Amino acid sequence: MANARIIVKRRKTVRNIRKITRTMQLIATARFQAAFNRAVATKPYTERLAELVADLTGVADGAEHPLMKTESTATRSALVGLTSHRGLCGGYNASLLRTAVAHLKDQEESGTDCDVYMSGKKGIGYLRFLGREMRQEITHIGDAPKFSDVDPIANELMDRFVRGEISAAHVVYMRFVSAGKQVPTVIQLLPLTREKSDDASNGKQGNVQYEFSPNPKELLEELLPATVRVRLFQCFTDAAASEQIARMVAMKAATEAAGDMITALTRKYNRARQTQITLELLDIVGGANALE
Amino acid sequence: MATTDTFQCSVITPERAVLECESTFVAFPAHDGEMGVLTKRAPLLCKLGIGQLRVESPTEKHLLFIDGGFVQVVGNRMTILTEQALPAADIDPEAASQALVEARAMKGTDVESVDARNRAIQRAKVQIKLSRAK
Repeated sequence: MANARIIVKRRKTVRNIRKITRTMQLIATARFQAAFNRAVATKPYTERLAELVADLTGVADGAEHPLMKTESTATRSALVGLTSHRGLCGGYNASLLRTAVAHLKDQEESGTDCDVYMSGKKGIGYLRFLGREMRQEITHIGDAPKFSDVDPIANELMDRFVRGEISAAHVVYMRFVSAGKQVPTVIQLLPLTREKSDDASNGKQGNVQYEFSPNPKELLEELLPATVRVRLFQCFTDAAASEQIARMVAMKAATEAAGDMITALTRKYNRARQTQITLELLDIVGGANALE
Repeated sequence: MATTDTFQCSVITPERAVLECESTFVAFPAHDGEMGVLTKRAPLLCKLGIGQLRVESPTEKHLLFIDGGFVQVVGNRMTILTEQALPAADIDPEAASQALVEARAMKGTDVESVDARNRAIQRAKVQIKLSRAK
């Protein structure tokens, strides 16, 4: 019975694993819903802010804000990487880190050193394994990113950019396109690009006569940093939603794979048992024949 | 009160829409002092300071703490974009007093740090005031 017993034991293990993966799938589903709602909740703010910027750029034209300055002599740039704290989410971290490392290589080839701000234990661990120094390791931002947590990072980047220490700042994160599609993306946070506001300024509210306080130029100077902050925050909320859905998909696949394995093992077990019975019968028949 | 005397007021933070209601009067802290808005105001775009936001609707009054941001009034619609908006009822008076002590202990050695210190003190003071007002 030795062989059959081993199979039974394995089948039991796989069953237990299936229970765990199924539970994790359910948890990820629930968390995804929450993370998705949070990601959607940032939209009104972003849209309104873009509208304001559009209204203002029309009035305060010619104003070149330091955050928009494209030519810089700095040979440094910054990269914010958003990975997850926990594993078991399929290729989520792997594909993010592949994109991040490719970006770092690009920067190096063009002669710029890249300061890395890494969020998430998985990314931090990987870069340590590569032996790459990180400027900042961010571990305090979890599933539900708070604006007050993201704020200091954005402020530091803007500070360094305005001081001319870095020539650009990028963010690599998992962009949430739909429930079925998430893409690892590198976006440019700094210098700010204008295209978005140009689109909006052609919209309906382009020529409202506002009363400004203080003057449009000063307002714009305040608005643009707010845009940068909210953009970075949106990356964080997007990444959180993508992580949960990646985990959900991975755990669903694991649960299904475990189910298939249980079927296969059951079949194998039945066959092993049958063989054993046949062997035992043959033994008895052989013994009886020998006696005759 | 007639419905024509109201206007739509929304308070939005990056995290969520905090408040969305029909209101008759809104007083907000502008960067250079408090400002009030009634219905059918001319379009306005204004920077906000630290302080209390009062929103009066026909049925109830809302009191919030806000910390910087922008206000836009256009077409009988008011939008307040702020990075922090806290309903007065949610403010913890003890935490606010603690914050005031900490703010007072901050060192002001140059223009920026003095500025930061003053802001922190004002923030704590407004929060304490609001937590008592509820």
